[in-house]
Amino acid sequence: MPLAVEIKDYTWQYLNTQQPALKNINFQVEEGTFLGVIGPNGSGKTTLAYSIDGLIPGQYNGIKQGQVHVFGKEVEEYARGQLQRIVGVVFSDPEAQFTAMTVEDELVFGMENLGMDLPEIRERLEWVTELTGLRHLLLKPPYEISGGQKQRVALAAVLAMTPRVLILDEPTSMLDPVSRRRVFDVLLKLKQEQRNTIIVIEHSLENLIPLADRMVLLSEGEMTLEGETRAFFQNMDLLIGQGIYPPGALRFFYELKRSARFEGQLPISLEDAYLELERLSSQAPSV
Amino acid sequence: MNKTLLGYVPTQSPIYAVHPFVKLYFLLIVSLFPMFVAAPEWNIALMLAIVLLMWLSRVDMRTLRIYVPIAVSMGSIILISYILMSGTHPEFRLIARFAFIKIYWERVRDAIVVYFRILPMIFTMVFFLSTSRERDVIVAMRTIRLPFVVTYVFAMALRSAGMVLEDFQIVRQAEHARGFDPTGKSLGYRLRQYVMYMIPLFALSLRRAEEFTNALVARGYAFTGEASRVRRADYILTHYSFKYYDTLFTALISASFIILLVLRYGYQFFSIEQSWLINWLSTALR
Repeated sequence: MPLAVEIKDYTWQYLNTQQPALKNINFQVEEGTFLGVIGPNGSGKTTLAYSIDGLIPGQYNGIKQGQVHVFGKEVEEYARGQLQRIVGVVFSDPEAQFTAMTVEDELVFGMENLGMDLPEIRERLEWVTELTGLRHLLLKPPYEISGGQKQRVALAAVLAMTPRVLILDEPTSMLDPVSRRRVFDVLLKLKQEQRNTIIVIEHSLENLIPLADRMVLLSEGEMTLEGETRAFFQNMDLLIGQGIYPPGALRFFYELKRSARFEGQLPISLEDAYLELERLSSQAPSV
Repeated sequence: MNKTLLGYVPTQSPIYAVHPFVKLYFLLIVSLFPMFVAAPEWNIALMLAIVLLMWLSRVDMRTLRIYVPIAVSMGSIILISYILMSGTHPEFRLIARFAFIKIYWERVRDAIVVYFRILPMIFTMVFFLSTSRERDVIVAMRTIRLPFVVTYVFAMALRSAGMVLEDFQIVRQAEHARGFDPTGKSLGYRLRQYVMYMIPLFALSLRRAEEFTNALVARGYAFTGEASRVRRADYILTHYSFKYYDTLFTALISASFIILLVLRYGYQFFSIEQSWLINWLSTALR
């Protein structure tokens, strides 16, 4: 698989700050990978997203060291507006990213910027409204719909541009559990049907873990842990030490393991946990 | 119901059959009418015509009530300004005297003329805003081939007004939640404390601007460079078509304006001298 994103010895410090926001970051994302990025607030997650999309250093002043490559090319080598055609970002506050007066205008704005013709815009609009279930909202102002719908509009607006890399920066931080689930359902469809490279920065681990192929943990600007999702969540001591609290099922097995009642790999999904529990109960002596 | 800039209009309203450009053209041309009409009765007739159009467009007429205080205070300000602050002339006719204040007929007349010139302009604007959605305004501007960036900045200005108001509410509620209550305090105190609203509002506006810039960049929009020269397919315009009756309405508005100019400058219609209302008032105040 070709590399979609490659970050080498990357350090970024915003102007007039004492500490770098990101320090010596190294990782690679293969095309088609679903990467989850987690970490406490202020750990540099958003800075990482902005660095891959070229908002850093394009829109912010600071000191950059190292390299951020997208499809083999340094982000600064892309012409203005070109990188954003390859990398799409959905920000955490959906309302802050609306640029149009109706949902429909919002969805087509990016496509118009890319210079697409009308038949292609229509076709993609059709596809993206179907995917995100927004057809009935097309004529509404985007700032008058519910929080979950707003976030789906923001996601759809970026998806319509069909970026090869999609970054979502805490897309569900302002949503209720049902709306959160719907956003992740859309991501699941994308992963299964489109094979996009998706990078999701998220606190909601119970939704993220089942989708993520790999995970990255950032802490105080440094990459503390990186790896394949299952292997990543075997480091529970480190994760909990960094203030990351995985879903209940995972913690339950972690506690069993700590008390020497369970051996082997910690199950990372509810389904795995159920199977593991069934296996354990079948092995337990009957009363 | 469709949300317009000033309220809600039923989806079945016939106004939606009219192309947004016609509405914008109506606003731009008809609001010029009072500039050429001095006789108040004609301007009152124009106001009634606009009210009739609003009724036909199914605008909720109750919303007009909110403009009554504005109309009254505006009239009072104009009248007081003309009586107290304007000059005098030896030929002016004194109609009343209150202490050292002399009231001349010519000044009262001018105040009435000006007032009834401004009112129809406001009515035209209210009609336009009550029957136009934000999108209609943008479509109208793009129909006349205004550059995208101009229409876009205009759209953002419309939107940011709403956002600032929303942010103001948030800041105000946050201040109240922390015990700030100016109820019953003097106006001077309230004005001084207003800074408590303004500073966070200003900070929020800066943050909004930054987020918005990021959103624009992330959507591939660029003001300069290669990306800014991309030929845009204006998708929203495909929802609108200029029908035969739109042409008819545009022609009608243009013809009315030309007829008005001909009558005004060719035959001296609509002047103060020809105004029966002014003449009647002049006689009544003699």
